[in-house]
Amino acid sequence: MAITHRRTLALPLPAVHRPSGRLLAAGAIVLVVAAAVLQVYQLTRTTSTGYDIDALEQLRAARQAQQHRLEADVAQLSSLGRVDWEARTRLGLQPAQRQLYIGVNQPVPERQTLPARYLPSPMPAPPLDDPDDRLWKQAVRLLPFF
Amino acid sequence: MGHRGRMNLRLYALAGLFVLGGAGLLFRVFYIQVVNEEHYKTAARQEHFGQQEVRAPRGAILDRNGYPLATTVDAYDVYVDRSAWRQEDDARRAAAVIAPLIGRPADALVEEVRKEDKGLYFAYSGLDFDKGGSLADEEAPGLRLVRTTKRFYPEGDLASNVLGFVGRDHAGLTGIEADLDRELGGVPGTIYFERDSIGNRIALGKEHIGRQPVPGGDVQLTLDRYIQRAAEGELEAQIAQTGALGGSIIVMQPQSGEVLAMASRPAFRLSALDLNDPDEALFRNRAVTDVYEPGSVFKTLTAAIAIDLGKATPESTYVDEGAVYIGPSTIRNWDYSVNGTMTMTQVLQRSLNTGAVWMSGLAGPDAFYRYVRDFGLGEATHAGLGGEADGLLRGNDDPYWSEVDLATNSFGQGLAATPLQIITAISSLVNGGRLMRPYVVESEQTPEGLRRFDPVVVRQVVREETARQVADMMNQVVEGIPGHLAAVRGYHVGGKTGTTTGATLADGTVRDGNIASFVGFAPAEDPQIIMLVKLDFKEDRLGGQVAAPVFGRLAPRILAYLGVRPDEPQLVQTTP
Repeated sequence: MAITHRRTLALPLPAVHRPSGRLLAAGAIVLVVAAAVLQVYQLTRTTSTGYDIDALEQLRAARQAQQHRLEADVAQLSSLGRVDWEARTRLGLQPAQRQLYIGVNQPVPERQTLPARYLPSPMPAPPLDDPDDRLWKQAVRLLPFF
Repeated sequence: MGHRGRMNLRLYALAGLFVLGGAGLLFRVFYIQVVNEEHYKTAARQEHFGQQEVRAPRGAILDRNGYPLATTVDAYDVYVDRSAWRQEDDARRAAAVIAPLIGRPADALVEEVRKEDKGLYFAYSGLDFDKGGSLADEEAPGLRLVRTTKRFYPEGDLASNVLGFVGRDHAGLTGIEADLDRELGGVPGTIYFERDSIGNRIALGKEHIGRQPVPGGDVQLTLDRYIQRAAEGELEAQIAQTGALGGSIIVMQPQSGEVLAMASRPAFRLSALDLNDPDEALFRNRAVTDVYEPGSVFKTLTAAIAIDLGKATPESTYVDEGAVYIGPSTIRNWDYSVNGTMTMTQVLQRSLNTGAVWMSGLAGPDAFYRYVRDFGLGEATHAGLGGEADGLLRGNDDPYWSEVDLATNSFGQGLAATPLQIITAISSLVNGGRLMRPYVVESEQTPEGLRRFDPVVVRQVVREETARQVADMMNQVVEGIPGHLAAVRGYHVGGKTGTTTGATLADGTVRDGNIASFVGFAPAEDPQIIMLVKLDFKEDRLGGQVAAPVFGRLAPRILAYLGVRPDEPQLVQTTP
């Protein structure tokens, strides 16, 4: 048995600046804090938007109510009772004692009617949450037993 | 195994237990969050969210031209949380804000609310939306405002008996509101809201709509607000002038059966509606629920029967001896007159009972009652109005019928009908012999679409020629008698008076008194309106004296409104 010694030439490794443990920890903390801040920011924005939506919905309801009220006012102001009262009291008119029929060579004007009183359909409210769209749920569904 | 080895084993066992426990927890979390997600989510929602019904806005009731007679506006219901008023200072402070807006004394409100110390007190229904908004800004302790709607009547009390009213739950109780409650009411929706541990709604909490409310549809009537108002005005004026107990006026388009006006008195006031009013009789629509003996207006139908059978003509004559004897019964003319030879037209002009008996004898009982039923008597008109009475008619197939019944029926006694049945029957004599189904609803505009109601010909009762002849006879009734109070200057009109003693109500009871009536149409050449005027009296009054003048005053107003040109040239001027 012969024992030989083979000397290998080792190439010098390039100098690698491995991050220190402290730096890694600091980076992780920054990431965690950033994620937390982002979460808080998103939550705040969502809540704020929720309040805005609520306020706008109330405003819309108020406007619709005002519209209905105005339509009712128009109807009341054009009521025959009110017209008759105005004619008698404010204009001092009296019912005619002698009737004369005037034939007018013009087409009969189209009657002005009030609009049909339908409430516009409110926009459907967004669902509270829609978990089906979450990425992790889609991934879970790919598992063989789901 | 040494001591060190035993230590390692215990550590491994402990670590294994932790790992198993952790894995178990993870599996449980996975099971709850992923596998059985829906079950727990539903349970959580039921725990955290309350459910509230959202009332659908009720549709409007419009007249034939689209003017709203009843509509819906937004409002608030006012509640007080009794627990917030336990302290008297808080109660007085809140009551000072709330009481003036709901029209109640503050002290009385405080006393009423504090009778109990918990729960909600319902303080006011249907507070105006604007007032509710200003009340909400005051932030009074314990104040709860709940959005709602309320009925609003732009034309005031107009057509109250036809429209009817809704209850506190906004369901129709009488009239069109009840008859078309499904169409007008819509479908309520559902809203889910976040609630706290004791079930109270969390302010600004999450909420979402489970089911959208479907608004009620609009209902367009055949009534015309102008004609309705004119009819109600004339009816009230005549009741005031003559001391009548009440009455009804119906105006109809005879060619189509559209009811243009339907007025009844006494009636309730929509503007001062009291659901606790014990006098429920005020709420009914007497023009369709109450029956009466039509009296001499029925002679027009008897004449039509005899003429249509070919047994008589308008010029046929008989000898009026002032009385007709049927077995032990004697039938005389209303004024006990003896007139000698009379034509059928004169029978109607002088309203001779003996002439009507003679005509019914010509027809015979079988044909007479067949025609009477064909005219729609004895069954409801199916006009679409609730509570309509069938009327009372004893035909010759009834075991208690006798020949006297035929005689009295011929001049409108011994049978009973609603005003709507009578005007519908006589309409067939002025529209060419067609019995039209009267109707008050022209169309329904619902989210599903527009549903329009067209005129319905029930049947051809008499020949067109017969109808024309009887219409001419009715024209002679008015124009053949100088100074007839139903005459209208500028138009040819026709009509017939009626006077009966006593009224048979729907339950068969007979009310003492006198009923004076008139049925007229105009213009005679091409009838555009037919009108029934009926007035109830305690004492004896004649239809020609008290009911005919109402037609005489009302008809020209309606004809002018409808643009019907008068025949009298000097009444008309034409612009270039």
